[in-house]
Amino acid sequence: MIKVLFFGPVAERIGSSTLQIEYRPGLRLQDLRDDLSKQYPQAFDIVCFMAVNGAHSRDLSQELADNSEVAFMAKFSGG
Amino acid sequence: MLEPVRIQTEDFSQDEEVTALLGSSKRMGGIGTFLGCARDFSEGREVSEISFDAYGSMALSEMNILRNEAIAKFGLLDARIVHRIGTVKGGDNIVFIAAGAEHRAPALDACRWMIDELKERVPIWKKEITPQGDSWVVPHP
Repeated sequence: MIKVLFFGPVAERIGSSTLQIEYRPGLRLQDLRDDLSKQYPQAFDIVCFMAVNGAHSRDLSQELADNSEVAFMAKFSGG
Repeated sequence: MLEPVRIQTEDFSQDEEVTALLGSSKRMGGIGTFLGCARDFSEGREVSEISFDAYGSMALSEMNILRNEAIAKFGLLDARIVHRIGTVKGGDNIVFIAAGAEHRAPALDACRWMIDELKERVPIWKKEITPQGDSWVVPHP
């Protein structure tokens, strides 16, 4: 399984802070983003950053391992 | 001794942070600090409270990376970053950054750099709670 995390404004638009997605071999970050953005277009309108296993990722071609933790995040507003 | 990089719900003491920073080296000749606090008015509206959401483990990791990069980039002797989460009211502390160096210029430059970078890289979001409703904050430059 892939654990997908959402926070703040993205979580609010999705209505949840976590989703579990079935893992399939060869699954890339791009595939996950495409699938979820079709289901939650309003939430993904504001997604600016992605993280895989707690580290920033800008490589949509990155293959995901089973049990990965992926976050799709809006622009940050801390500080 | 408190860790130099922390995310916490409770308030922090600037004096304790600066004392801890000073305690790390007697070569320190300058300390630059930044205190971010909650405003009770924003975008033409009164703000009752600000609540924070964070990707806690990643935020802490990014703040540690940021501190290490600042120490290397500006030749600091030490640095500290503390960010609150949970809910705060107008006038409350939100974030404290301190940079200690042999001289003032790198301390001040590093302090400015760290708060600017924190806003760009650290996954924390703030929501303003107002009598007219709640809204997530759109980042300011």
